[in-house]
Amino acid sequence: MEADSTGTTMAEKADAEMAENPFEPYIESFRQQLEDQDPVFLIGVIVALAVVVITCVFLKYFLTSKTVQSAVLLVGLCDSGKTLLFSRLLSGKFKRTQTSITDSSAPYKAKNDKGSIWTLIDLPGHDSLRHQYLEKFKSAARAIVFVVDSAIFQKEVRDVAEFLYVLLTDAVISRNSPALLVACNKQDITMAKSAKLIQQQLEKELNTLRVTRSAALSSQDGSVGGSLYLGKKGKDFEFSQLPIKVEFLECSVRGTKGEEGEADIESLEKSLAKL
Amino acid sequence: MLDFFTIFSKGGIVLWCFQGAGVTESFTGPVNALIRSVILQERSGNNSFTHEALSLKYKLDNEFELIFVVGFQKILTLTYVDKFIDDVQLHFRDRYKNELEQKGALKLLNNSFDFGADFKRLLREAEDSSKIRSPAPMRSFKESEKSQKTVKSMIETKGGDKGKEPSGKKNKNTKKEAPAAEPVKVDQGKASSSGQNMVENGNQGLTADQIMQKKRDNFFRKRMAGPTEKPSKSPKPQKPKEKQMRVWDMGGTSTKNLDYSEANGNGSSNGDEQNQETQIDLGMQPSSMKGDLLSVDYESSEDEEIEEEEDEGVVVSETSKTSSKKGGGFGGMFGMLKGLVGSKSLSQEDMEPVLEKMRDHLIAKNVAAEIASQLCDSVAKKLEGKVMGTFTTVASTVKQALQDSLVQILQPKRRVDILRDVMEAQSQRRPFVITFCGVNGVGKSTNLAKISYWLIENGFTVLIAACDTFRAGAVEQLRTHQRRLNSLHPPEKHGGRPVVQLYEKGYGKDAAGIAMEAIAYARNQAFDVVLVDTAGRMQDNAPLMTALAKLIAVNVPDLVLFVGEALVGNEAVDQLVKFNQALADHSMSDKPRLIDGIVLTKFDTIDDKVGAAISMTYITGQPIVFVGTGQTYNDLRSLNARAVVSALMKA
Repeated sequence: MEADSTGTTMAEKADAEMAENPFEPYIESFRQQLEDQDPVFLIGVIVALAVVVITCVFLKYFLTSKTVQSAVLLVGLCDSGKTLLFSRLLSGKFKRTQTSITDSSAPYKAKNDKGSIWTLIDLPGHDSLRHQYLEKFKSAARAIVFVVDSAIFQKEVRDVAEFLYVLLTDAVISRNSPALLVACNKQDITMAKSAKLIQQQLEKELNTLRVTRSAALSSQDGSVGGSLYLGKKGKDFEFSQLPIKVEFLECSVRGTKGEEGEADIESLEKSLAKL
Repeated sequence: MLDFFTIFSKGGIVLWCFQGAGVTESFTGPVNALIRSVILQERSGNNSFTHEALSLKYKLDNEFELIFVVGFQKILTLTYVDKFIDDVQLHFRDRYKNELEQKGALKLLNNSFDFGADFKRLLREAEDSSKIRSPAPMRSFKESEKSQKTVKSMIETKGGDKGKEPSGKKNKNTKKEAPAAEPVKVDQGKASSSGQNMVENGNQGLTADQIMQKKRDNFFRKRMAGPTEKPSKSPKPQKPKEKQMRVWDMGGTSTKNLDYSEANGNGSSNGDEQNQETQIDLGMQPSSMKGDLLSVDYESSEDEEIEEEEDEGVVVSETSKTSSKKGGGFGGMFGMLKGLVGSKSLSQEDMEPVLEKMRDHLIAKNVAAEIASQLCDSVAKKLEGKVMGTFTTVASTVKQALQDSLVQILQPKRRVDILRDVMEAQSQRRPFVITFCGVNGVGKSTNLAKISYWLIENGFTVLIAACDTFRAGAVEQLRTHQRRLNSLHPPEKHGGRPVVQLYEKGYGKDAAGIAMEAIAYARNQAFDVVLVDTAGRMQDNAPLMTALAKLIAVNVPDLVLFVGEALVGNEAVDQLVKFNQALADHSMSDKPRLIDGIVLTKFDTIDDKVGAAISMTYITGQPIVFVGTGQTYNDLRSLNARAVVSALMKA
């Protein structure tokens, strides 16, 4: 028995040596070749390698700095006034708009002392498009402006709440934690609800939604979407319970005087400046 | 004549608009309706759209991401509109090329596009050109050439086809013993008014008897002579030749070989052989079913072989195509490289081969044939003129665009959250009514049971209305489901009352009446959801479709779900169109209840041939609410658009 065990250990040692041996001759030959070469040539090779490494590092740095969150997304339901808000923020002009089918983006200079420049991106609000555009831009979002039509809010409250729920439970967004500004638009219409009322309604709606959505059917490939539970269990949902900062403000993109007048977006611009 | 003309970017900002004189309504509504129903639903193959009283035509400019829309009254037929839009588009592009080429959306906001003068000029030109082409007034008889000719010169023994008709009519008239003069006059009138190009009837100058005699002579002559007598005098129309005896290549020379009437012995021996053959045939059948059944793999491997041969055939033809392209020489290769690197704009010819392949691929994945072709046309329209980036091939651009459109089609166009809607109905103290309809054997009752299980798990009480009063065992099936569900969720745990109840009135009764009573019962007993199961029916069975439409129109359910199986192919289009049509036709109100959602069943039986999902959502525009993946209560899923599209685009 002992002879057998020693025999196996010998075999193992031989195996280990065999494993090292294939590399040894290569290393030896490599070393010899290096020593044979001209030192100048060697230095050249080393410098070239270093340059390549440094360029790689720089590229990585620059590429990632581009995807650093510097975008402000304008999202919302269809016909809530996102494209007009986009136009007003950038140029102050009133433009007639139609339903957007692609995104529009432009650099925006914030009205603060630093003069920081964000990329303002206007996403389409139509139900069939909003998901794929959100997927495209959500990782770059520094702030999300959620535009709500305050005049017909009462009829649309469930759709607004569902979209807001999707935003809040999205994994990427909850990881990056951008600032969420809910802009209650169309305040120039007399029937428009105030921001406070909209906030209360949304809280009530999201309270029910978080229960129904977590009970929703799983997808056919087994993945359950948005398994994040909003707020605290047992207590009624409030926006203050969220890790994301949510702010409600009122604005009127059309302005009280219609096409010629200025838009009433002071509070929005102030909030954007604070980012 | 135009009501309005707008030019706006795909991002939604209107660059320039024109509103016709006297038009007060804003055009934003109709244009939004155009965008939502046509462009977003990928029906842009056909470039016109009607909305209420307006007819809209549009053109997409994919290079600068613009859309040109013109609207005019539906009752007008303006012929110049298509060409006009093209002209305007070219003009606008040329004039504002510099501004439009800037990157970003600021170009649209900061530049003002004063296109008014140019537009008016183009409109005037288009209207003038259409006026020029108005139809010429008819010449009077005196001016025509026919009045110059003599009657004799127009007589032909064998008139052309058009010539024969009036003569035929004339013969009939004579048979009816009408005066001979009148038919002649009538004929003359008809002939002269029927245009100058018709062949004149040579018989006009003769009387009726003479015509009959002539025809009789012709008839006998034909009979006697061979079949190849050509007509002598008719110059103009291509008269069909006399019938020639058909000569078969492989045919025998004589008919003697086919004559079996000789010896009866021969006949009987043949008969014996025949009997033996039939015996052998009969003998095949009883013994072949003994023992185990042949496994499905054998047949499917045959099918696979056939498919492989077809694939090879396709591959061979494709390689021959590509080899012919390479045979084009160096120019072709450099062109390809140029297309790869530089910024090239896509044209219809570039996209055609790729689209062909994609269309075949979609059809192979069980998408209905017409839907696949409409989708490909729509993608072509969307990509025409688009400038490709560097290092992107035509194929990859087209594939990406197709993938995006498919995801867009599968995304629901409205919020789909049944539990939330049930809660809403609960708060309004009325039951939430869901109706299931579909053709025979798609899985209505099974999926109804699955959905009721899901609803019970979420704490709602369900009433099942057995409105399938036709199929044997339908009511018993639902009763069995009810018992099983109640045993899974016993009443003690849910406040003492059973979570599922069945409302049935046996067989043979009127389904609409049962549904109405069931809903009233549910309201009284405070049930949360009513699931109405209907009988399966074929879409072209008119009385049954009327009955279904009546059930839905009378009871006004909250959700009308069409149950369709994932195995269906081109039939899905027909089913959905006819079901929707029946529901729309037989409803009394102006806003008829159409199909609100689709339940896609038997999803586990298809591997990745998931095309039926696309066909159904494309046709109706309604979302797929549930996906059935098996026969147990847990096999109920919701649709994941990305997964379906990736399965569809997988090679």
